Amino acid sequence: MNITLIMCSLVFAGALAWFFEGIKPKSARYVSLVSVLLITLFFVYSIISSDSSINFNQLYVLERISWIESFNIEYVLAVDNLSLVLVSLTLFLTLICILVSWQEIKEKAGFYYFNLLISIAGIVGVFTAIDMFLFFFFWEVMLLPMTALIAIWGHENRHFAAIKFFIFTQVSSLLMLVAIIAMAAIHKEQIGQWSFFYQDWLMLVLPLSLTQYLMLGFFIAFAVKLPSVPVHSWLPDAHTQAPTAGSVLLAGVLLKTGAYGLIRFVIQLFPEASINFAPIAATLGVVSILYGAKMAFAQQDFKRLVAYSSISHMGFVMLALFSFNALAYQGAIFTLVAHGLSSAALFSLAGMIYSRIHSRNLVDMGGFWLSAPRMGGFALAFAAAAFGLPGLANFVAEFLSLVGAFQVYPVLTICAALGLIGSAIYGMVLFQNSFQGSLGSRKKDSFTELSIRELVVCTSLTFLLIVLGFFPSLVLDFFQANQLVLVVNELSGVQS
Amino acid sequence: MTVTMIYHLLPLLILAFGIGLSLLLVAWRRSQKLILIFTLAIFLCTLIASILLPITIGDSVQVTPLLKVDSYGNFAFILVLIASISVSLLSSKWLASSLEEYDEYFILIQLVALGAGILVMSDHYAALFLGFELLSIALVGLVGYGKNCQFSVETSFKYLILSACASSFMLLGIAFIYSQTGSLKFESLNLNSGYELFYQAGMLLFLVGVAFKLSLAPFHFWTPDVYQGAPLPITLLLATVSKVSIFIVLMKCWFSQAYLMPVQAHNETMYSLISLLAITSMLVGNSLALRQENIKRILAYSSIAHMGYLLIVLLIISPKSTTLAWQSALFYLSAYILATISIFTALMLTQDKKEDSAAKIKYWQGLFWQRRSLALLIIISVLSLAGIPLTAGFIGKFYLLNIAVQAQQWWLIGALIIGSGIALFYYLNMIFVLFHLEPKLNENRDGKSSAFVEVSMVSQVAIYCLVLLGLYWGVFPDTLSQLFAAQ
Repeated sequence: MNITLIMCSLVFAGALAWFFEGIKPKSARYVSLVSVLLITLFFVYSIISSDSSINFNQLYVLERISWIESFNIEYVLAVDNLSLVLVSLTLFLTLICILVSWQEIKEKAGFYYFNLLISIAGIVGVFTAIDMFLFFFFWEVMLLPMTALIAIWGHENRHFAAIKFFIFTQVSSLLMLVAIIAMAAIHKEQIGQWSFFYQDWLMLVLPLSLTQYLMLGFFIAFAVKLPSVPVHSWLPDAHTQAPTAGSVLLAGVLLKTGAYGLIRFVIQLFPEASINFAPIAATLGVVSILYGAKMAFAQQDFKRLVAYSSISHMGFVMLALFSFNALAYQGAIFTLVAHGLSSAALFSLAGMIYSRIHSRNLVDMGGFWLSAPRMGGFALAFAAAAFGLPGLANFVAEFLSLVGAFQVYPVLTICAALGLIGSAIYGMVLFQNSFQGSLGSRKKDSFTELSIRELVVCTSLTFLLIVLGFFPSLVLDFFQANQLVLVVNELSGVQS
Repeated sequence: MTVTMIYHLLPLLILAFGIGLSLLLVAWRRSQKLILIFTLAIFLCTLIASILLPITIGDSVQVTPLLKVDSYGNFAFILVLIASISVSLLSSKWLASSLEEYDEYFILIQLVALGAGILVMSDHYAALFLGFELLSIALVGLVGYGKNCQFSVETSFKYLILSACASSFMLLGIAFIYSQTGSLKFESLNLNSGYELFYQAGMLLFLVGVAFKLSLAPFHFWTPDVYQGAPLPITLLLATVSKVSIFIVLMKCWFSQAYLMPVQAHNETMYSLISLLAITSMLVGNSLALRQENIKRILAYSSIAHMGYLLIVLLIISPKSTTLAWQSALFYLSAYILATISIFTALMLTQDKKEDSAAKIKYWQGLFWQRRSLALLIIISVLSLAGIPLTAGFIGKFYLLNIAVQAQQWWLIGALIIGSGIALFYYLNMIFVLFHLEPKLNENRDGKSSAFVEVSMVSQVAIYCLVLLGLYWGVFPDTLSQLFAAQ
C-alpha cells in the first residue's frame, strides 16, 4: 500500500483540475471526479491485494525516511484498521463532495477543486502519520485549504466564520505543539536523543504529575476539533457559512480527526492520566449530547440545526471513549463512520434545497413533499438516521456506546440516553418544517425533483447507512482483536 | 594586527573602503544608475568575502579588543547584506518615481550596513556604541529622505529624538557597567559582587536603549509612525537590518555575561524583566495591530510582537543551551527577514501611485485573481509571519517553543500562544482580502487588468524565487539550519 502515492496524486489531481479549468471552463469537476475515482479504486485494490500476512490490528509502518535531522524528525506513515476505515470514509465522502459541488460552484471552480483535494490529502496524512511533527504538519495542511473553502466560496458571513474556525483550531493546536515538543524534550532527557516517533513515545515512563498536563495539551486540541462543549462555538458558524461540500467535509471527516486523535494519541500515550481525567471528559460528552440536542431544536437555519446535531452526536464518541470499555470503544468507532455518513447526507440535502430556493431558513421551506416526493423519502431516511432509527447505522453506534458506557457511568449514561429523545424531536422538526405542510406562495413545479447526480449521492449514502445498520460487523469485525481493545480491557481492569 | 585579523575583518574593510569610493564617485558624476550599480557591486563583494570567510561553526577570532568575528556574527552579517541588497533594488524602483536627489541615499544605505556590520561583530561596548550611532544617524537621514512625502518631517524628527534618547540611556548604562567592572569588554569576569545593584541598573539602562531600537513594548511608540512615514524601502531597512543587528549584539552581550546565567542564582530580576518585556511586546504588538488598516502600520505592530517572541532565546537556563539559542535566533531571523523582504517587495510592486504612506489593505482586493504570483508571495510571507506550517516562519516558531519548553517558561509560552491567536486575526484578514470575488468599487471601469500595475518579467522571476525559498525552508529546514549549525 502506498499512502504517499495517494496523497501526492490527490495534490497532483488538484493542480490538474485547476490547470484544466483555465483551458476549458467546467472541466475541473470532471478531472477531479475521475481522478478521485481512480485513487479510490487504487486504494481499494491495494487493500485487497495487500499481503495477507500483514496484521492490521497493529500499526504497520509503511514508510520511514529521515526528514529534519537536527531534531531527528522523520517522515513515517503507518496504517492499522482504524486508519484504513477512516481513510476509506474520507475517500468516499470526497466523491460525495465533488458531486454536491457540481452545480453549486460557478466562480473560480478550478481553484475550488484544488483546495478541496489538497485538504483531502492533508486529512489522509493526518490519519496515517505517526511521527508527531509530521502529524502536526498534516493537521495544519488540512486546515488551510479548508479555511480557504469557507472564506472564498462560503455564504454571506464567511470571513468571520473562517477566521473563527481558523483561530480556534490554530490556538488549540499550538497547545498540542507545546505538548509535542515537551514530549520530545522528555525523550531527549531520558533516552539521550530527540524523537517525535509515536512508537518511541509509547516506551517512555512518565510520572503522572507531568502526563496530566501533557495529556491536557493534546486533549484540548482534539476536543476543539471534535467539537465538545465548551469549545464548540466555531462549528455552527463554520458549518452554516461553508459551501455544501465544505460542510460535508467538515462534518464527515474533519470532526473525525479529533476523535481519531483522542483514540490514537490521548488514550494510548497517557492511559493513566486519561483515566484520571475520564469523569470530566465523560461529563463534557454528556453535556455536549444534551446541549447539542437542545440547541439543534431551537434553530431556524437548516445547516445550523444539523451542525448542532453533530455536536450532540460527537458527544457520544467522547462519552464512549472515556468510559474505557471494549463495547463502548467499538460503539465510538462505529459512531465515527455512521455520523460521517448521516451528517454528510443531511448537509448534502441542505445543499440541494439551497440550490432550489436559495435559503437555509426553515421558515421559507415547507411542502416540498408535494413537488419532490423522492427527495422527501430520502430526507425522511436521513433524518431517521440522525435520530438513530433501528435498521440504520446510527442506531447500532449509539446503542453500543450507551451499553458500554452504562457499565461505567450509569447516571451519566441515563442522562445521555435522553439525548436520543432530543434527537428524535429535532429530526422531526427538521423534516416537518421542510417537507410537510403547505407550499405557501410557491408554485408546485418551482421545486424540482432530484436530478440523476443528486439521486446517485442520496442513494449511495442511504445504501451504506442501511447496509451498515443491518450488518455492523462489516466494520466492527476489524476491531475485535484490536490492540486498543486489549489496552482498553486492561485499563478497565485497572480501574475496577 | 596580524594577517589573519585583517583577513577576518575583510568584509567590513571592503564595505568601509567602498563607502569612501562612493563619496568620490558622487563628487565625480551624479547618476542614479551608476551609484546603484556601484552600491550593489560593493555589497556583493562584501557578501562574497563574508561567505568565503573560513570560520568553522562555533569558532571565533578576536580582531583587536573591539571586534570578535565568529560564525554566528558572520551569518548575521550575511543576512544584513542580503537585506541591504534588496533594499537597494527596491529603492531604485522607488527613486525612479521621485524627483529628488538620490546619490547620497545609497551612501547612507551603505553606512547603515556598515554600522550593522560593526554591531554584529562587536565584542566591546565602545564598538557597540560606534556601530549603534553609525546605524542610527544614517537611518535618521534616510527616514526623512522623501522631502515631498506627507509625513517625512514628522517621521525623521520622531526618529531622531527618540533614537538620541535611546543612545543616551544606553551610554549611561554602559557608564554604570564600566564603573563596576572597570572594563568595557562584554565579558566581565572580575565583577565586584558588593556593587551588583549598580551593575544591574547599568544593564537595565542598556536594555532600555536596545529595547527602543528593537521597538519592544513599552518602548514601541515611535514604530508605527516611523514605519508609515518613511519611504517604503527604508521601512524595510528599519525592519530588517536595524532589528537584526541590534538583536544579535544584544545576544552577544547577554550570553557573555557569565554573571547572568542562573548558575549564580541571583539573576532573577533581569530574567523576569526580560520576560516581562517579551510578554508585553507579544500582547501589545498583536492587539494594537488588530484595528489597523494601513499595511505598513500592521507590519510595524507585528514587528513589535516578533521581537517579543524572539526575546525568548535570551531566557535559557543553562550555558549548554547557548548553541540552540543561537540557532533558533538565526533561524527565526532568517525566516523573518525573508518574509519581510517578500511582503515589502509585494507592497512595492502593487503600488501604482507614489504615496506609499497610504497603502491600505483594501487596495489588495482581489489581487489573487489578477496577479497570482504577487498574491502568492503575499500569502506565503504572511503565513510565514503568522507561523503556519509549510513556511519557514513555522520552523522558527518551533525553535522558539523548543527553547521555551526546555527553559520551562510557561508564562512566555502562554503569551506566545495567545499572541499568535490574536495575530491570526489580522494576518488572515490580509489574506482574505486577496481573494475578494467582487470587483473593486473604486477602480476605473474600463477593464479588469488596469487595477494593478503590470509585473515585469524580472520581478516575476524574483517573486517566484522568494516564494519557492519560503516554502523550501519551511519543508526542508535543514538546508537553512546547517549553514550555522554543526550537524
